[in-house]
Amino acid sequence: MRRAGRLALQYGLVVVAALVLNFILPRLAAGDPVDYLIPPDSSGFVTAEQRQATLARYDLDGSNRQQFVTYVKNLTHGDLGVSIRTGQPVREVVTGRLGWSLLLVGVAVSISTVLGVLLGFAAGWRRGTKRDIGVLSAVLAVDALPAFFVGLMLLLAFSVKLDWFPVYGAIAAGDITGWARVTDVARRLVLPASTLILTGIGSVFVVSRSALVSELGEDYVFMARAKGLDDRAVRRHAQRNALLPVSTAALLGFSTLVGAATVVETIFSYPGLGSLAFDSVLARDYPVLQGVFLLLALIAIGANFFNDLLYPRLDPRVRKVG
Amino acid sequence: MCIAPLLNRSQATTFTQMKLRIAAVLSVFVLLLVGATAQAQDDESVSLTIGLHAAEKNLNPLIRPMALPITHDITNLVYDTLFWSQASVTPEPFLATGAVPSDDARTWTVSLREDVVWHDGEPFTAEDVAFTFQLVSDLEGPARYGHHVTDHPTFVSAEVVDDLTVVLNFENPIPTFLFLPGGDIPILPEHIWADIEDPLADATSVAIGTGPFKMVEYVPDTSYRFEANEDYFLGDVTVDELVMPIVRDAQAAWAGLQSGELDFVTRNVPAQLIDGMNDNPDVGIVEGSRLQSTYLMFNTRKPVLNDPVVRRAIGMSLDLDVFVNLVEGGLARPGNDTWTHPDSAWAHPTGGHAFDVDAANSTLDDAGYAMGDDGVRVSPDGTPLAWTLYVNSFSPPQIRSGELVAEQVAAIGVDITVEPLDPAATSALRRPSADGPPQIDMFINVFESHAHADPDHLFFFFHSPGRGVGVVFSGLADPEFDALVEADIAASPEDRLANGNVAAQEKFAELMPAVTLYYPDGRWGYRPDAYDGWVSDPGHGVFNKKSFISTYAAPEAVEETDEAVPEEEPAEADDDSSATTEEPADTDDGEAMAEEDAPDADDATAAQDSAQSDPDDDDGGSGGTVVVVVLVLLAAALGGVAFMRRKKATTGTVED
Repeated sequence: MRRAGRLALQYGLVVVAALVLNFILPRLAAGDPVDYLIPPDSSGFVTAEQRQATLARYDLDGSNRQQFVTYVKNLTHGDLGVSIRTGQPVREVVTGRLGWSLLLVGVAVSISTVLGVLLGFAAGWRRGTKRDIGVLSAVLAVDALPAFFVGLMLLLAFSVKLDWFPVYGAIAAGDITGWARVTDVARRLVLPASTLILTGIGSVFVVSRSALVSELGEDYVFMARAKGLDDRAVRRHAQRNALLPVSTAALLGFSTLVGAATVVETIFSYPGLGSLAFDSVLARDYPVLQGVFLLLALIAIGANFFNDLLYPRLDPRVRKVG
Repeated sequence: MCIAPLLNRSQATTFTQMKLRIAAVLSVFVLLLVGATAQAQDDESVSLTIGLHAAEKNLNPLIRPMALPITHDITNLVYDTLFWSQASVTPEPFLATGAVPSDDARTWTVSLREDVVWHDGEPFTAEDVAFTFQLVSDLEGPARYGHHVTDHPTFVSAEVVDDLTVVLNFENPIPTFLFLPGGDIPILPEHIWADIEDPLADATSVAIGTGPFKMVEYVPDTSYRFEANEDYFLGDVTVDELVMPIVRDAQAAWAGLQSGELDFVTRNVPAQLIDGMNDNPDVGIVEGSRLQSTYLMFNTRKPVLNDPVVRRAIGMSLDLDVFVNLVEGGLARPGNDTWTHPDSAWAHPTGGHAFDVDAANSTLDDAGYAMGDDGVRVSPDGTPLAWTLYVNSFSPPQIRSGELVAEQVAAIGVDITVEPLDPAATSALRRPSADGPPQIDMFINVFESHAHADPDHLFFFFHSPGRGVGVVFSGLADPEFDALVEADIAASPEDRLANGNVAAQEKFAELMPAVTLYYPDGRWGYRPDAYDGWVSDPGHGVFNKKSFISTYAAPEAVEETDEAVPEEEPAEADDDSSATTEEPADTDDGEAMAEEDAPDADDATAAQDSAQSDPDDDDGGSGGTVVVVVLVLLAAALGGVAFMRRKKATTGTVED
């Protein structure tokens, strides 16, 4: 428990640092929300008073320090502010998108981890053989393709040419309920998730393959073979130990992918956090950016924390006595 | 990826069984998916799915538009204006049946249509009109409609005479009231907006108007849904439901049109896709011109750029045909030095562009801008003619145009560096700083239909700072030009149609605060079997409310053409734009498609909701070949792996 407490303190400091950085970074870009909101071409000339009034509406008219204090104060009440771009409360915007992001990334990471591990272990077990090299080359070749390319190719092949899957969105507009809703979401999830899976298998594959290979070089494996244990048992033992770095990689992959799926979200018009962050950067939508970055930081920190707690359960060597 | 052969034989059998089981489950799942998608369509109701290029908010007309230039047309699906529209030669009565000016054209008495009802059932009255004008005036917010109530003309007050008559008083004479603001401002329901505390912040409630469509659902950043207004006063609405998802990626939008998921796309069809779409029997293209231009604008307050000789020389060094061909694939017209779009009612009769590199060089020589050793001219006081040109980084046409400009002006000894920035950053550069004019040297942007169709646009955008918005455009401050445009705005529409602001436009060409690069043509993709009632409305493209009103829409089959349709529209000085009109005029527009005139949107890539409506970009290109190549490569890779999977002796060894 002391360990958990110490971890919590460390992570608490990270959260504070994240808060500060998330506040500063969006403001570093040239231009402010008013420049996006009422640009010259559609709205003409904005007087200084109008500018101040617009900023005041979003609590952005004070100095940076004042704004930060206001921001933190509101944060403690759970008030994340209002989006400058859409006018909705940030909480609503972010939680609305979070669900879709988690769905997309969750499915993608789960499947790519399973596939990556299966392939990686299979290849690692056969290291050096032509099978291993064949699989390794194939996986790395696919991994080298950029996400937008894979996404667009899948779109062209399966949506346009074959007409199997829809082209955009997470769910059709309009009222669908029940089973039809589930299948609609599932259909629209296939292509974006496949893109992320194809581009994500590579790293899991490489990690699991090399983990298995290094396990197979350990003394206990040598001992097991010496005493006559068959392949299946040796492999089972080795794989179980090789899962450790994989779990770390998968959790970290999950936490970063939530934000990094921007390109895929844009191609498929999938309303996730990545495209929200992108639109918000364009719009200098500080409240939303702060909210999204904070959420992503918390997810990443949470994933790390979870991994730190999980590790001792997977690996007894790491458990402290008492 | 077949894993079974990678295991040894004893495991292979169980694995095969497992594989079979997995395959069985998967196929059931796939069947369920496929089954669920085959939904029977209700034949009676017509539902259109239209891919929007960018998110607009909840159609609150008081806030900044985000999905230009179709914002106005989406808003006008739900709302109506007194007359329609600002871009027509003769605005027709919509909510108003007529309007009579006082002698000095400062006061207009507007008669309203009877029996018009808001979407929530409340009756439409003169109160709503008075309220709307007062609200827009009070807010003083810079937005799409604000300046035609607060600047030119300046609204003073409104009096409700009776339920169907309202008197609007303005500070300055506004002979063109029927156009602006009469043909432009959407009328808002007083019984709803009077209770909204902060109208400029309301971005989430559902819009209620008098228009042909009721807004039924609005999912921010994702989609809109509209249902036909059964009681629409102008007639039957031809489509029962409009579903408008926001499809951010241009490629996905075209893919959706080809696959049938989308029945119409609000983007302009890029030149590269036209052949492919013409070959596809299910997809049609409707042509028309757009009242839109891409321009290069100078900050005339900067040293050296404040000399019209330099600006004209730069203009003369640009070969605009190259822009038309390289940037728009030939689907555009070269710009006019007189600025106004040739299809606008207020255009100069001849227009034209002076392209003469030698003349440009000699005028610069004569004016004392000596050529330096490095090929860059220097002004008499030593300033080199070197500037930074800002373009919208999300608009490939603008980036290409910028690069072409930089290339071509090198011939006259001017050095231009192109800097792509996102829209907010460029806007920041265009604002005046605390102690002086904006810092920007020059920039490329888009002038959209509302502006070209505005009879007073030269006044509004190029009058010296103090009136209009010139301060964040070129900052031009020329007393002669000011006098010309001030005289123009006080002239009646008849006079203006007769001489079309000619003197002001010619003065503009002389001063050249901006160079129009090209006017892009308009082409939109649609699926004829889903709906082909698309009608072109001058200044509004084909995506406008008339396409859905039975009185105007053209239900008969339309030629999907690639015959070039003459882009000139009946914009010639028509008879009279009389101040009062009684019957809904049988309009010169609204003919069967393949008619022209209208600005329409397309957009830059990715999620671009900036104010700049940007012309198409995004190369299509058939992915067919590439897909085949990729699949062949993958198949080869898999084949190679399969080859190497040949069964080996299964002992514990790993070596091969």
